[in-house]
Amino acid sequence: MAMTVLNKPMCAYLFSIYGMRLKYVTGSPVLAAPVNELLKHFRQDSVEESTELTLCFKDVQDRADIPLRLSPSARQLSVGTGAAVRDQPETGLPYEVIQDEGRLIADFHNLGVLLMDGVQGRAEGYLINPETMPANLIEYLFHLALIELLRHRGLYPIHAAALEKHGRGILISGNSGRGKTTSSLSLLRSGYRYLSDDHPLIRDAGTHVDVLPFPTKINVTRATIELFPELADVPDHVPHPGSRKWSFHAEDRYPTLIGERCRPAMVLFPHVADVPHSHLELLSKRRALELLLPQTLLVFDPEVARREFEVLAKLARQVDCYRLHFGRDIFDLPNLLTPLLEQG
Amino acid sequence: MSDPPPVTSSQAVSKHALNHSILRHSLDVQGASMEGETVLLDLNTGRYYTLNYLGSVIWELCTGRNTISDIHAVLCDRFEVAPERALDDLVALISELVHERLLHRETR
Repeated sequence: MAMTVLNKPMCAYLFSIYGMRLKYVTGSPVLAAPVNELLKHFRQDSVEESTELTLCFKDVQDRADIPLRLSPSARQLSVGTGAAVRDQPETGLPYEVIQDEGRLIADFHNLGVLLMDGVQGRAEGYLINPETMPANLIEYLFHLALIELLRHRGLYPIHAAALEKHGRGILISGNSGRGKTTSSLSLLRSGYRYLSDDHPLIRDAGTHVDVLPFPTKINVTRATIELFPELADVPDHVPHPGSRKWSFHAEDRYPTLIGERCRPAMVLFPHVADVPHSHLELLSKRRALELLLPQTLLVFDPEVARREFEVLAKLARQVDCYRLHFGRDIFDLPNLLTPLLEQG
Repeated sequence: MSDPPPVTSSQAVSKHALNHSILRHSLDVQGASMEGETVLLDLNTGRYYTLNYLGSVIWELCTGRNTISDIHAVLCDRFEVAPERALDDLVALISELVHERLLHRETR
């Protein structure tokens, strides 16, 4: 059965992510489409130099087709359902993370396996019958492998929405249901530029930390759509039986451009408050770092985690951090935030 | 160096232990000082911990050169606190940090 997989003609797709040349290789159109959508802003048509990162995803029919062999020194790093890989619904999957001789193995059991070698900049994904999977699950598994490679090269994902105005960035961090997307839409419709809905990158720029755009489709719930009239005709899709999702590109709905790399000036940790007016509560730097850590840091490789922790601490020192008590005045949020951003 | 017996309360600590136990940060811990407070990340477990201002001062003094008595003397000099209370707080924190493997205690 493995021979069937290897005989498929392979296609290579080329991207450049902040100076990191990346090649994605797959023989499966089902595995190509979600990745090309995810990385559409990073597409490159020609490759002139060698690539630093290579990700190769293959479809298999059966788990036995996955060439996974563990050495005697393999050790389990974590096991569970979803929580270690953030709060996206599609990640509520049983998983096991194993370290084995420089490789990190994320085993999603009956869905497939990711094999990642951060030092070599290579990752392989074996997905079992991906034609039965929703595209956003394929996108998610690819993204997981990609960010593990990027982490080893000093680009760290942060679980936050990110926007920019006049070269100054705002990160809105927190789990689903706390007003992250609603607050970010409120800023977008007032002219803020879009950087990312859920996972911008941060990078140490020496004197400060930069936030780098990672623009993807914005996912919204029906309840959010009802708050914003301009989203009324956003199309839905059904990733799982019984569940519906709505998503759109920011630039299709708002007079916004994709923002550029910038220096974050503010981090918000929203929660929905049943009050008429939103207000901000300034947080200590220590509290801000405590809140950022679970949104970002996964300790698999200690040296990578050490560097990532340092960058997060630098970010927390650099920005003003607030708890946003997000009231019912959702369209007035820019009036609350913009003066602070401009003053900072 | 031999592993010293555990230190759990100031009453249980001998003068010898106070004068000869030195403390150093674990190599597997990364710390960040944030406006006088400290966040520690255990790189083995992924767990993180926070220290208040006093805890941060103690952490900074655990350089691998200072004994418990040395650190106690600095606390008494820097803070308006009864020496017995300072020693109790110091020993309690050290005990916890050693238990969590964030600090190593050695006898010299």
